[in-house]
Amino acid sequence: MNEREVLEQWKKSSIKIGTPTNIIAALTAFIPVLWLCTRYDCWPPFSTVMTAWGLIVASFGALYFVEPISYYASLGLSGTYLGFLSGNIGNMRVPCAALALDVTESTPGTIQAEIVSTMAICGSIITNLIATTSAVIVGGAVLSVLPEFIVDGLTRYASAAIFGATFGNFATKYPQVAIFALAIPVLLKLFTGFSAALVILCTVFGTLFIARIMYKKGIVE
Amino acid sequence: MDNVSLVSEVSNAPILWLLCGITVGISALQAALYMRQSKKMTAQISLDPAVPKKAFRVGLISAIGPALGVFIVMVGLMASIGGPMSWLRLSIIGAAATELSAANIGAEACGVVLGSQDYTLMCLAVSWFAMALNGAGWLVFTGVATPSLDKLRTKISGGDINWLVVLSSACSLGIFGYLNAGEIMKGIGNTIAVVTGAVSMVLLMNTICKKYPKLKEYSLGIAMVIGMIFSVGFDQLIK
Repeated sequence: MNEREVLEQWKKSSIKIGTPTNIIAALTAFIPVLWLCTRYDCWPPFSTVMTAWGLIVASFGALYFVEPISYYASLGLSGTYLGFLSGNIGNMRVPCAALALDVTESTPGTIQAEIVSTMAICGSIITNLIATTSAVIVGGAVLSVLPEFIVDGLTRYASAAIFGATFGNFATKYPQVAIFALAIPVLLKLFTGFSAALVILCTVFGTLFIARIMYKKGIVE
Repeated sequence: MDNVSLVSEVSNAPILWLLCGITVGISALQAALYMRQSKKMTAQISLDPAVPKKAFRVGLISAIGPALGVFIVMVGLMASIGGPMSWLRLSIIGAAATELSAANIGAEACGVVLGSQDYTLMCLAVSWFAMALNGAGWLVFTGVATPSLDKLRTKISGGDINWLVVLSSACSLGIFGYLNAGEIMKGIGNTIAVVTGAVSMVLLMNTICKKYPKLKEYSLGIAMVIGMIFSVGFDQLIK
């Protein structure tokens, strides 16, 4: 089998795993609330739930589409299923996958890259499950003995430092593109009232457009 | 019993762990299935088995830093939406801020404040519906549309492998540019974390890691700690 056929086969089995698991998880996430309403007979009026849904879609609806599209290139096919089921995409999945590609010297778009990012994301999911599960068991106790500045540092700055580190690593490869990737969202946030989803779209596609021009002109390769 | 204690008791009911565990289990199962698929494929294309092992280790180790953040956020979230739901939401798609705003929107739709005396079991149900419906948005979209995203990428890349590499990095730069911009706007402390995180990662990757490639696997964790030390140090300094 050549590389293309192997990739096709990989994609087919990835879809076979990802589609049902993501959709089933969307459904099983309703089990607790159905139990609550049945057990305590506290079914809310349908209209109230719809109002809540409307408000939710107004705040987050656009992100349902924008985020998967924007993250796809860095997550790959199986990584998208995994990333959006397990969450923490920006602060955990993509940085881990990107670093793993770097460490193993894999080229994006190849079968090796798919395997490597899948395995890296699976590793990070296990760490995350351990973290959330141990938070349940020992969370309160641990938090009460940690000094305040450590708790503060982790809650306020952990994501910022990870975002910076991941950006820095990409930026050394394409510094000319990186300038625009940072300038576009800063300017949009400062001078427009665009929604989060619109800022992401403009940034990702704006950066992509600029990278395309630079690639055509031979500035980046 | 007053509403506040009733809501708190119900949202920490032991059986809820089991009910929430079903979805957490599906996430773990999915990861296990993908690992099996990767193992099979590694053998089929005779890739060195050390490569996926290394990748797995990178994921496992690099996630420790951000997972500590999740750990702490989760303890906070447990206080407002209960243990089992926090476990469910933060083990799958959820980010604490998203879940809290969904829970608040649920309360808002009932015309009450989350956690107040007027927040009845029925309002709790609206909050939980709101969280589940919100999560379903991402899950259903990715469940259904991911294969089309692959076609979209192929179309934009036009089959040019070199351009595909640039394209992937440009998309990542864009999305991380956005995330960093958000942090920078939060203030000087966060800006310091972004800048020192970025600088230390670049320095690590281009100096020490060149000499000791093994260290690369830890670079993200080290950069995160350095970034945090500088920000927390700054906070202490101006206090």
